[in-house]
Amino acid sequence: MNQNLFSLAWRETVRSAYWGKSIATNIALGFLALYFSANFLFLGLFIPKILAESFPNDDPLSKFNSIVLAYFAIDLIVRQLMQKLPTVSFKPLLLQNIRRKTIANYLLTRSVLNFFNVLPFFLLVPATIKLVAGTHSGIATIAWFLSLVILIFSNHFLAIYLKWRFNEAEYGFFILLGALAGLFAINHFGIIDLSGGMGKLLDLILVYPAISITLILIPVLIYFLNVRFLLSRMFINMLSGKQKEEKIRDYSWFDRLGENGRFIALELKLIWRNKRPRSVAMMTLIMLFYGLLVFKDQHGQPPPEFIFILGGIILVGMFSISYGQFFPAWHSNYFSMLMCQRLTMKQFLRSFYMLVTAVSVTCYFLTLPYALMYPKIIYTNLAMLLYNLGVNIPVMFWVGMYSKKRLDLSQSSAMNYQGVSATQWLGALPLMLGPISLFYLFKLALGTVGGYAALGTLGFIGILFHPVIIDFFSKQYRKQKHQLIRNYKNS
Amino acid sequence: MIMIQIQNLIKAYNKEIVLNIPELTIEKGEIFGLVGNNGAGKTTMFNIILDLITASKGEVISKGIVVRESEDWKDFTGSFIDETFLIGYLTAEEYFGFVAGLRRMSKPETATFLNEYTDFFNGEILGKKKFIRDFSKGNQKKVGIVAALMGKPEIVVLDEPFANLDPSSQYKLRKLIKDFAAANGTTFLISDHTLENIADVSTRLIILEKGKIVRDVPKTKTTLQEVETFFKPVVEADLV
Repeated sequence: MNQNLFSLAWRETVRSAYWGKSIATNIALGFLALYFSANFLFLGLFIPKILAESFPNDDPLSKFNSIVLAYFAIDLIVRQLMQKLPTVSFKPLLLQNIRRKTIANYLLTRSVLNFFNVLPFFLLVPATIKLVAGTHSGIATIAWFLSLVILIFSNHFLAIYLKWRFNEAEYGFFILLGALAGLFAINHFGIIDLSGGMGKLLDLILVYPAISITLILIPVLIYFLNVRFLLSRMFINMLSGKQKEEKIRDYSWFDRLGENGRFIALELKLIWRNKRPRSVAMMTLIMLFYGLLVFKDQHGQPPPEFIFILGGIILVGMFSISYGQFFPAWHSNYFSMLMCQRLTMKQFLRSFYMLVTAVSVTCYFLTLPYALMYPKIIYTNLAMLLYNLGVNIPVMFWVGMYSKKRLDLSQSSAMNYQGVSATQWLGALPLMLGPISLFYLFKLALGTVGGYAALGTLGFIGILFHPVIIDFFSKQYRKQKHQLIRNYKNS
Repeated sequence: MIMIQIQNLIKAYNKEIVLNIPELTIEKGEIFGLVGNNGAGKTTMFNIILDLITASKGEVISKGIVVRESEDWKDFTGSFIDETFLIGYLTAEEYFGFVAGLRRMSKPETATFLNEYTDFFNGEILGKKKFIRDFSKGNQKKVGIVAALMGKPEIVVLDEPFANLDPSSQYKLRKLIKDFAAANGTTFLISDHTLENIADVSTRLIILEKGKIVRDVPKTKTTLQEVETFFKPVVEADLV
C-alpha cells in the first residue's frame, strides 16, 4: 500500500511541469542548500573554539545547551517561511480503498524527507564529536545526540502543524511572531530563564542519559495532533470553499478613474480576496520595520553602503518585488478570458505600473522616519524608489513574458499550499542584487553620493520613458500571448 | 454576409493532425452547431477562432479580419469556453460589471441587460454574497454564457454551453439562444455532446470527427435523426 503511495509521490514530483522547465531555479536552490550546509558544517567544527572565546567563564557545552532553545525558535520561523508542506493531492485517493489514516500517515512520513531536517545535522554531528564525545561517556553522548535529534523532529512536526493551521487563519503567523517575541522578552529580561532551563535539561541528560527517552513523547504527541488535524480536514467540502457569506466591499468608486481604475480595482480585489497575494501585502507591512533591523550601528560605525541599498529596496520596493515577480501569473487562471476581451495589453501593464507606483511612493513616505537614524536615508531611499520604478519594473515585465507557472487562486485557502516555499524568494534576488552591484560600479567612478545619484538617474530615465517601455512590452506580450496561455494550461 | 471564413486550417501536435478544415464559411445569423465525440477537435477549433492557440497552417478570417494579425475582432465577439474564463474571486455582479466596462456598456444598460435573464438565473446568481469560485458548475456556466452576450456581439462562441446545466435550464438556454439570435441577428458558434439540444437550437449542423468535417447539413425536420444515425451505428455494430 505505502509503496504504491510513494511511487505516486515520486511520479508527482518527476512529472510536475515545473521541474523540467526551471533548471535555473533548481541550480540556484542547490547552491543555496550547499552554502547553508557548508556554513553549518563550519560552525559545527569551530563551535567549541567560538564558545570558549566568547564566553571564557562558562563551560562551552552547557553554554551550547543553553543556546539550543533560541536556535529552535529561529528554526521554527524559518520553517514557516520556507518549508514546503507535504501536498500530495489526496482527493483522488479518497475514493480508493485506502484508509484515511494511511493517507495521513503517508503525508506526514513523506514530509520528514526535507532539507530543513538534514541541515542541522551538519552542525550537530561535528559538535557532538568535538564538544561532547571527548569529555563524556559513550552512552551520555548518544543520549545527548538523540535528544537533539528528537527535538529537531519535534520542531519539524510542530512547524508543519502550525503551518497547516496558519493556512486557515493567516493572522496565526503574526501571533506566533508575537508569542516568540514575548518569550524572548521574558527570557531576555530574566523573568523566567527559559533557555537556561532548556540548557539545564540537556545538561541533566548528560548526567542521567535515561531522561532522553521521555523526550520522545514530544514528537509523538505533535505527530498525533497532525494526524488528528489531517483526518478532520480530509473531506472534499474542505476543498471546495467555505459556505459562509463573504463580506463584499464596494470598489465601484474606482470606476470613476476610467479604464485604468477598473483594472486597479481588479488588482485590489485580487489581492484582498485571495490568500497568496494577501500574504504578500501583509509581508510588505511587516517589512516596513526591516529598517530597525539593518540600519544599526555596527561597533559605532554606520552600516556599509550596500545595507542602505538593500534596506532601501526592501523598504520601498518589497511590494513591487514580491507581487511583481509573478506578474502576470496572478491573472493566469483567467488569462485566456482577458485575451478574448476588448482590452489592450497596454491597459493591463499600465494598471499594474500605476498600482506598484502608488504603493512604492507610499512606502517611501512611511519609511522616511528612518532618516532620524541616518539623514542620508532621505536620498538613498529616494534613489532606490526611482530605481525600483524605473529599472526593476521593466525587468519584471521582461521576466513576466516568460512566466511559466500558473498560480492557483481559485482554491479556497484550506489545503492550498501551492507556491509557499523557498522557490518564491528566488525571483527576488536579481532585483535586489542588481542595484547593489550597479552601485559599486558607479561608486568607482563617481564616489558614494555619485553612486546613489547614478542609480536615481537611471531610475528617473526609466520613469520618464515609461510610456515607451509599456508600449514596447505590450507588443512583446501580444507576441507571447499564445505561449503564456499554453504554459498556464500545462502547469 | 460572411461572418467567419476558415481557409486551409490545420492544427497538428507533433505531426499528429488534430484539426484539418480545408474550407468553411459561416454566414451572418447562422446558429452553427458543432457535434463530435471527445477529441474530435471542437474546442481546438473554437480556440483557434478566438486566437487562443495558433494554427499550424491556414487562417481564420472573422468579418474580414485575420484573427492572427489584428485584435479588432474582439470588438464584436463574445465567448465562453470553460470556467477558466471566469474571474473566481469576483461576485457575479462584479464580474458582469467588469465585462460591461470592457464592452463599453453603461451601468443602466447593464442593469436592463441583466434584468432580461432573471428567469435563466433562477434567483441563484445575482444578489448572492458569494464569489464565483464558490458557485456550482452550472451556475458558473450561466454567468459565463450571459457575460458572453454582453455588448451585443455579432459573433458568440460557446463551447458546450449545455453541459452541467440542469434540465430546465437547458430548455431555457435553447430559447435564450434562439431569441437572442432572432433579435440581434447574431451568429452563434455552439458545440455540444447532447444531440438533442444542439439539433434544436442550430440552423446548421456540422459533425466533426478526428479533426475533419464529415457532415455539414442545414437543419431540417430530419436533422436530429440523421445525426443520431451517424453516431449510432458504431454502437450497434459493436453489439453484433
